[in-house]
Amino acid sequence: MTDESNSPMTDTDSTTTGPLLPEDITTDSPFTLPGFFDALAEGRLVAARCTECDTHLLPPRPACYGCGSRAVTVSEQPRTGEVRSYTSVNRPPSAFEHLAPITIAVVELDSSARLTGRVDAPLADVTIGDRVELQVRDPEEAGIDPDFDLSYEEEWPVHVFELV
Amino acid sequence: MSTAHLIAVGSSPLGKTDLPGRDLFSKALAEAFEELPDPADVVDGLYVGAQSERYENQIMQGTLMAEWAGLRNVPAERVEACAAAGALALKNAVRDVRAGVHDAVLACGVEKMTAGGTEGATNALGAAFERALEQRSGITAPATYALLARRYLHETDATERDLARIAVKNHRNAAANPRAMFQEAVDVETVMDAPDVAPPLKLYDCAPVTDGAAAVVVANDEVAADLRSRPDAVRVAGVGSAANNLAVAERDLTYVEGANVAATTAYEDAGMDAADVDVAEVHDAFTVCEALLAEAAEFAPKGHGIETVEAPEDRSAGWSDVQINTSGGLKARGHPIGATGILQAVEAYEQLTGRADDRQVADADTALLINEGGVADAHTVAHVLTTQ
Ligand SMILES: [Zn+2]
Repeated sequence: MTDESNSPMTDTDSTTTGPLLPEDITTDSPFTLPGFFDALAEGRLVAARCTECDTHLLPPRPACYGCGSRAVTVSEQPRTGEVRSYTSVNRPPSAFEHLAPITIAVVELDSSARLTGRVDAPLADVTIGDRVELQVRDPEEAGIDPDFDLSYEEEWPVHVFELV
Repeated sequence: MSTAHLIAVGSSPLGKTDLPGRDLFSKALAEAFEELPDPADVVDGLYVGAQSERYENQIMQGTLMAEWAGLRNVPAERVEACAAAGALALKNAVRDVRAGVHDAVLACGVEKMTAGGTEGATNALGAAFERALEQRSGITAPATYALLARRYLHETDATERDLARIAVKNHRNAAANPRAMFQEAVDVETVMDAPDVAPPLKLYDCAPVTDGAAAVVVANDEVAADLRSRPDAVRVAGVGSAANNLAVAERDLTYVEGANVAATTAYEDAGMDAADVDVAEVHDAFTVCEALLAEAAEFAPKGHGIETVEAPEDRSAGWSDVQINTSGGLKARGHPIGATGILQAVEAYEQLTGRADDRQVADADTALLINEGGVADAHTVAHVLTTQ
C-alpha cells in the first residue's frame, strides 16, 4: 500500500490505492478487469483517479497516462453525464449485426471520466450535449452474441446509456 | 551514425485481386528489384508490416516473406500496430541502417484484406479497438472515426460537404496515379449522396478494403552509392513515433496529440520544420483524418485543417503550401492495412525523384509521411524524406 497522506482525497474515493506490488494484482482488485466488472455487476462504476493530476481512467488501470504517476486511487463514478460525440454503427461486427443500427456515444460523466457506450435511442434523437444516464445490463439482456465473448467475459455486464 | 536512403520501391496492384498475400509481396519485390541484384545480395534483413493473421490464417510473415525473397538465416520480423505497421517496418529498417547493424534492409508490408469478405475485414479491424468497453459496445473503425468527425464538425466551421471535398480531391489525385485502386474522379454530389456508414461519414469518406503489398529498400551511403546514381536515392532524414491512448473515449477528439509528437520528433531529427515540407502523405483512413493530421503536422492552424483541399494561395494565413496525399491517399490509392505506410514512402520516393508524372509537384524535395494505427493517433509513425 502506498502512503496517501499527501494526496488529496475526494468524497467518492475509496482508500484502495493502485497496485504497486505483484500480490496486489488479483481478480478482486478494481484495477483488473475482473474486479472492475464485478463492481459494475453490483451497480458500482469505478474509475481510477490520479492523485497527482486528477485524470480519471476508465476502466481503472495501475498508472496514469496523464502524468505517468502510479499514485492512483479507486473512485466511484456518477452514472450521469453528457454526450461529447455520437454516431451510428450501421454495419457492426458480425456478432452485433442483429442490433444494427447501433447508436454509440462518447460520454463525459459528471466526474470528467469518459467512456464510449451504446445509447438506447435512435440516432436522430441524440445530439452533442444531451444528458444521459448509464445503465448496467447482463450480456444476454444487452443482446451480445454469446460467441463473441471470450470465456472470461461471459459474465461481464454491458453498460448502455439512456437519455434523461 | 550512418545515413539511411531509400534506393528502390515497388508495389503490387491494389484492390480486390486474385493473388494471395505472399504473391502480392512477390509483385512488390519484383518491381523494387527490377534494376538491382538479387535481394540476398543487397539486404541483410527484413521487416514486414502485417495487421492481422485473421485474413489468411498466417503469422510468421517475417519468415515467409524472407523465404519468398530468397533470404535465409537473416533477421526477418513481422511488426504490428494495426494500420501503422508499414511505417513501423520502415522505421525499424532505418534504425538498423543508421546504427550500422545492417548495410541494407528490406521494409515491406502486406495485407490480403478481401480474403474474408467485408465481414471478415470488419471483424479483423475491430481488434484494433479497446476490447473491454468499446469492442463490447459494437464499435467499428468507421464508427470510431465518425465520433472524431462529429465532434470536429461541432467545434469548427467545417461541414459534411467540406469532408466530401477531401474525398473528391483524393479521388482526383488517384486518377493520376497508375498505382491507385480507384482511377476515377468523383464529384461532391456523389460523395454526399452515398449511403451512410457511420454518420456523418458516408461511403466515400472511408478508405476501401484493399489487397496489396509494397516494398522499399533502405540502404546506407555505401550501398546506395554502389547501386544507385545520386538522383535516385532519397535520404530518410527524420523519424518519430508515439503511442497515445487506445480507447477513442479517452482521447482529445479534435486534436491528434500523438501524431503531433511523432511529426515534430521527425522534424527535429531532420533539423527541419513543417514549412520545409513540399509534399505529405498523411493517414486519411477517413476524410476527417486529413484535416486532423494537417493540423497535427503543423501545416495548418488549429481548426483549419479542412482547407487541405484548397490551392495554397486560397488557404488561411498560417497554412503552409504543402500538397497533401498526391497519391490519392488511403481513400483512393487504397489501404491494404499493413502495406499502407510503405505505400506512402513509395509516393514520396516518386515525388522526390521526379517520377510522379501527371501528379508531380514542381521542385518537391522534402516529404512528410504520417502513418497511424488504431483509432487516430493510438499509434503514429512519422518520417521525413528529402533529397537535400
Ligand atoms: Zn496523473
